[in-house]
Amino acid sequence: MKTNDGPKTGVTNDDARRDAVDAFVNSLKRRRHDAPAKTMLPEDIEIVTRLVERDEDPAALFTQTATTVGVNVHSATTADWLDVVAKLLQEHQAKDAAIPPVGDGFFEAERVEQLKQRLVADGVAAKSETDDETLFSVDMAITGVAAAIAETGTIACEARPIIARGSSLIPPVHIAVVAAEQLLPDLCDYFNVLSKRSELPADASLITGPSKTADIEGVLVTGVHGPATVHVVLVRES
Amino acid sequence: MSAKKSDFRQRIAAGMADRRVIRAVHQATFHKVETVADALSLLRNHQELRDLAARIKQHTLENLPGYLEQFISACERNGTRVHFAADAAAAREIICEIARVSGSKLAVKSKSMTTEEIHLNEALEAAGVRTVETDLGEFIVQIDHDRPSHIVSPIIHKDRQQIARALVRETGCDYTEDPTELTAVARKHLRDVFRHCDLGITGVNFAVAETGTICICTNEGNGRMTTTRPRVHVALLGIEKLVPRLRDLPVFLKLLARSSTGQPLTVYTTLITGPKRPADPDGPEQVHVVLLDNGRSEILGGPFIEVLRCIRCGACLNACPVFRNIGGHAYGSVYPGPIGSLVTPLLSGIVAHAELPRASSLCGACRDACPVKLDIPGLLVKLRARTCNRQPLTKRMGMTIWKWIMRSPTMFGCVQRSMRWFLRPDRDGWISNGPGPAGEWTKVRDLPPPPKKSFHRRWREEWADED
Repeated sequence: MKTNDGPKTGVTNDDARRDAVDAFVNSLKRRRHDAPAKTMLPEDIEIVTRLVERDEDPAALFTQTATTVGVNVHSATTADWLDVVAKLLQEHQAKDAAIPPVGDGFFEAERVEQLKQRLVADGVAAKSETDDETLFSVDMAITGVAAAIAETGTIACEARPIIARGSSLIPPVHIAVVAAEQLLPDLCDYFNVLSKRSELPADASLITGPSKTADIEGVLVTGVHGPATVHVVLVRES
Repeated sequence: MSAKKSDFRQRIAAGMADRRVIRAVHQATFHKVETVADALSLLRNHQELRDLAARIKQHTLENLPGYLEQFISACERNGTRVHFAADAAAAREIICEIARVSGSKLAVKSKSMTTEEIHLNEALEAAGVRTVETDLGEFIVQIDHDRPSHIVSPIIHKDRQQIARALVRETGCDYTEDPTELTAVARKHLRDVFRHCDLGITGVNFAVAETGTICICTNEGNGRMTTTRPRVHVALLGIEKLVPRLRDLPVFLKLLARSSTGQPLTVYTTLITGPKRPADPDGPEQVHVVLLDNGRSEILGGPFIEVLRCIRCGACLNACPVFRNIGGHAYGSVYPGPIGSLVTPLLSGIVAHAELPRASSLCGACRDACPVKLDIPGLLVKLRARTCNRQPLTKRMGMTIWKWIMRSPTMFGCVQRSMRWFLRPDRDGWISNGPGPAGEWTKVRDLPPPPKKSFHRRWREEWADED
């Protein structure tokens, strides 16, 4: 690393950078901003924040909330989920699809392999590469999810080794395969799960519907930068 | 001072004169207020949730040095590099330097009010870095050399014809007025940019002290694209955006989108904790957080500390009858509307922006709409008090006399009786042409004539002896 560049900003000099940050925090302390707080940090925040209780049926609620935000929810079982996904590809007349080599949640390695074989049999190219060429050209991406949230109709996709962030973002259609057991009742539950992890993923994205804008005269348009169409295949034990 | 004031008056007049824009702003804001009310009614206890959000933010601000320390050391653990910028110039210098050292030539920006505040784009362009706004609204603003007029809906003032012309000029596409087709044109153009960019610049909606996580909320996916595609990600973080714990985030996320657009959550809520891990196939290799002070630490120690609770949802703009009738550009500041009238004088100096706190009818709609319970009208009045010794001498003398009259029942009665001689109604029974300084006031208002008998006198004559 070059050391003489930008001594003023400390961009290339970690010590100078840290010193500037520390000096600022110390100056705040000297200005008595750290006087004992009058406002206590509320501890029991879930009583007010939680909207969905743990004993509610999350699958029924998720189907309703996800549909409201514009997600197409398809009900499937462990016996017929391959058929449900294959039918979606047919409906979109997809020639090819990006599928990560290992999956997430329900969509584990063995099931990824089953799906790939099925697609090949149906004449669809299943691509496991995550390079730009693939992600910017494929007709759709099929992924698993880390969790799903019934309250808001949200799917959570987390960055993992081999699973590209771009797969749930760049292709125009996203199919997420979600097991009913992965459903969490409330947004609070997802953050409780995250809080208990020893290490957080570099990126955790909560996706609530297709990419949207209403910037032009308030008219709702989908598919601005992310996918215009999001399908969730919700799989229950058969 | 007087020149400034007349500038402001001129902008207001210009804003009000553009009926097309005002109609569009009315339509959009009324629609939003309705959708937001529906969304908030679904919360179990909206008022208690606002109270909770206000308390968490207030607590964090009162203990900010400790939470900043916690955030900074968590970032260092995650591999995020934290920088400090005392003001806008320092922030621009740091970001340009990051661009230079990383050899970046093409920067993408996700929608961020804080980067607007430091006027970053011009600085990056001057440093030889092509900088592209990727939020659809901000992209249109950029290619049309315009300014955003709302903190959430930047092109609320533009119609589809203007947007179409800007896109045709920039991309050479065929002219169309269909919003879906126009969005597709922008998508195609920006895809190419996203494919080749090397620097991503975002703001931050919330930063979590305990984990060093930054949270970015967008609907279009510009936030996710900007933190996924480039090699280097720079997040500009106003120091007031901290919250203590990861589990505090749902409190704010449940309020932010509902108050802003009526959605349960923004489509993409992205939580970034450090650069990509070695085995991750994509994501930035470097993540930089630039802590921005730019006047905030001054507010922190003073009577306006609660202003820093603001989460920039835009609800106060949508609720404000003044904003609806003059539009965002009239305010002449990066942050328009009720919150802008508070934040702008506090951040950039009260002398240059003394008129802004007065651009409010103090009706309180903004206070009722605010998800973190900011008493905006109360704070505006406090801010007005700070500017009162800057008023012209004649006005100050007038106010002194006024105070003297109002505090003496005898003087008050005397003046009240004499008013009947000065204020003569027109033939229609109203006073539309007041004498002296009242003339200015009655130019745009009609005043009912004073009654023949004052209330005091009627009380004495009609009711007093009933006791």
